[in-house]
Amino acid sequence: MRDDEGRGSGVEGQGLEHAPSPFVQMIGAKIEEWREGYVRLSLILEERHTNPNGVSHGGVLTTLMDEALGAVIASVRGLEAMRAAPHATVEMNVSFLAGPRPGDEIVIEGRALKVGRSVAFGEAEARRRGKDDLIAKGRFTYVIQGPRNG
Amino acid sequence: MAETLRAPFLAYVGAVAEEVSEGYVRLALVTGPQHADANGDVHTGALTTVMDSVIGIALGTLRGERVTRRPHATIEMSTSFYAHATPGDELIAEGRVLQLSELVAFGEVEARRRGDGELLAKARLTFAIPAART
Repeated sequence: MRDDEGRGSGVEGQGLEHAPSPFVQMIGAKIEEWREGYVRLSLILEERHTNPNGVSHGGVLTTLMDEALGAVIASVRGLEAMRAAPHATVEMNVSFLAGPRPGDEIVIEGRALKVGRSVAFGEAEARRRGKDDLIAKGRFTYVIQGPRNG
Repeated sequence: MAETLRAPFLAYVGAVAEEVSEGYVRLALVTGPQHADANGDVHTGALTTVMDSVIGIALGTLRGERVTRRPHATIEMSTSFYAHATPGDELIAEGRVLQLSELVAFGEVEARRRGDGELLAKARLTFAIPAART
């Protein structure tokens, strides 16, 4: 599953739809697993991901959590439904429990709690690979929008 | 102005400081295709990155030298998103410290689109400050 060239690329053999968004590719995270109701991303932290304290910037974790959950909800809704009426984050509540440092590999798991007709809920957890300690936890709410014009 | 560059990730994302004063900070980010999410809008993470830093920097203006020994860290961030930004939009995030005490601090941030001033997101943040060593 893991290969040296795999950074920023999607899950092998599953097509471009499961590639990370441009912003997540810029951060350098990759999608490790993508199945209905569950998505896992990972990122090896570097200096460029840090805040002045030398630990991961909170924005790195919120980005990856939202990415994971956006993909989870897409996995439940199906890509066709998502294209016709995209879902958008409306609420994000994240607790930061520990500060991972460069060299740490962060693993983000996202799960759908409920995907309704117009609203969806998801939960994400971030851990350090190897240590498995919880470093951040987030609850997210999405609205499923009407079809977009144009 | 040098304040923003102290967070490598903030600089990497491309934000710049417009105003840094006592307990108040305004940052700007000109978004581009690199900030896009799966729908082609600006990723919420680009917004939350800038919003988190607004309060982190604002606290720095009030805490001064104490930041070095007892660095504050975000422990809670609650964000509501009201509208999309499109890559190419310039985002302005401004926020202030609501309260700063010995072990905890609170702040509030708004992100708007420059030009029409549309409110894109609003966040409340809680920071923890490590206890002084005795």
